[in-house]
Amino acid sequence: MTQENLEKEERVSASAPRRPIWSGSVTIGLVNLPVKLYPMIYDKGVSFRFLHKADGQPLKYVKMCTKDDKIVPWDEVVRGYEVAKNEYVTFDNKELNAIKPESDRQIRISKFIDYFSVDPVYFDKTYALMPDKSKEAYSLLLTALERKNKAGAGRITLRTKEYPALLHTYRGALVLTTLRYAYDVVNPQDFEDLKKLKEPSKTELDLAIKIVTDLSGEFDITEFEDSYKKRVEEIIEQKLKGEKIRVEKPPEVEAKSLMVALRETLKQLEKQQ
Amino acid sequence: MCLFSKKEIRFTSINFIKVFWCKIVMKELKELTKVELKNLDKIFYPKINVTKGQVVEYYIKMAPKMLPLIADRPLVLTRYPDGVDKEKVSFFEKNAPEGTPPWVKTKTIYSETTKRDINYVICNDLDTLIWLANLAAIEIHMPFSKVNTLDKPDFLFFDIDPEPPATLSDASDVALLLKDKLCALELTPFIKTSGKKGLHVVIPIVPEHTFEKTRAFVHKIGIELAKESDMVVSEFKDTKKPGKVFADYLQNSPLRTMVVPYSLRSTPGATVSTALEWAEVKKGINPSDFTIFNVVKRKSNPWKNIFEKRCKLEV
Repeated sequence: MTQENLEKEERVSASAPRRPIWSGSVTIGLVNLPVKLYPMIYDKGVSFRFLHKADGQPLKYVKMCTKDDKIVPWDEVVRGYEVAKNEYVTFDNKELNAIKPESDRQIRISKFIDYFSVDPVYFDKTYALMPDKSKEAYSLLLTALERKNKAGAGRITLRTKEYPALLHTYRGALVLTTLRYAYDVVNPQDFEDLKKLKEPSKTELDLAIKIVTDLSGEFDITEFEDSYKKRVEEIIEQKLKGEKIRVEKPPEVEAKSLMVALRETLKQLEKQQ
Repeated sequence: MCLFSKKEIRFTSINFIKVFWCKIVMKELKELTKVELKNLDKIFYPKINVTKGQVVEYYIKMAPKMLPLIADRPLVLTRYPDGVDKEKVSFFEKNAPEGTPPWVKTKTIYSETTKRDINYVICNDLDTLIWLANLAAIEIHMPFSKVNTLDKPDFLFFDIDPEPPATLSDASDVALLLKDKLCALELTPFIKTSGKKGLHVVIPIVPEHTFEKTRAFVHKIGIELAKESDMVVSEFKDTKKPGKVFADYLQNSPLRTMVVPYSLRSTPGATVSTALEWAEVKKGINPSDFTIFNVVKRKSNPWKNIFEKRCKLEV
């Protein structure tokens, strides 16, 4: 990434949280590195709250019995696992809590791998690791991983769920990315649509490769803008000022239909001559 | 390296694909036309949300029918850089604008009235037509003679202009009367809507007479028509009489113009000056049938080969 892009990215990045959500240690064999875990990923998209149109009061969700439509208080709620149609095995909170994994406050690294050998489809959520007490040990692990371009593979228990995780470096920091389990990810080869995939002809392929080559460039996340969010924020500002809002649908990108029309017309004009 | 939340990933990839395809398509567009198309999503007709891209697409689609009709004529443009809106700027333009690319054909003609040279645009090819649309030259007008025989018209032009409460249907009646009269003289008239409230009837002729001669001839026919029908007036002073249809002959003059066949008009509904079959006029026409949306779907090409049907005018 170019320096300019880096700086641009820094300007728009989310601000750092104050409190860690977890503290424990990275365990590699017999070595322990005490760390604090901070969330690094936010969803800063647009979110709305549901209100009652009549009086503007916020609405809340309630649990309602499907038989008599009565609101059921929390202490009358149990969890049910559907074993057959409309047949449930039930669990109460006590039973479930008893079998949930306790966080042992350890990130257990079992081996070091090439970071790029993990496909992003497995990436779940990334956390920043900060040194707790010993900065020297942190710096040592960070530098070693950066030098060797490696990432540690292991697992972590966050709250009550155990995740596969990747310990890697990102902009001079150790970060942890939790991963999805293999059973959470679909194999695209299971889609029927891929069964009769044709080999492209050489000319087509040459053209496609040419386009890809011509359009090759550096990835710059700041090129992408949440235009919906921006528009909503503009409207909010207008609404606050009491301005009237004109709702208009943005027109679709039309270059494609122009191209089709151009080809057709060029063909016709050729015939006319 | 998980850069996005799930929501963002969905959003980002859609945007990325759009940007990617847009780039590919724009690149291919560049290979198909010399014109550097810009701001395609700008709204040109705000009432009906028609964009510049749609206007360009319209002219591309109409080019095979239009180009033979407007070739070799010095064009006059009406440009609407901010779209068709009463409050927005529009301007009549005869001079090719600054920045006209070298591949656009122009012709310098000295204007007696303004005592200066005017550099007219000539549109003989698709690229020039696209370039005009890209300039927001929504309306295109042309004179009744070609650039090399400017003082010898190759069209007779009757502008049939109804004054309310007279309507397009009254104008059609007058046009049909006119047609019978012209056919009796062994002339071959062609008709189009003006795209506004009237109709245009033209006769292709061998360019051998002066405009004075053709103007006098058109005027004479108008006078005869006015004698036969109460609805018709043939004199300019009577044009504002309500409910009358004026058979206008005055445009038959050097470098006076008519809106070209298939030009869009600056009406809120993006109407089109549409070439018609006489049979359609007989059946009755509705101006809303001739807009940017439906003229492209018309199969018929009533003015096709119009210059092969040139009449020899005896005056």
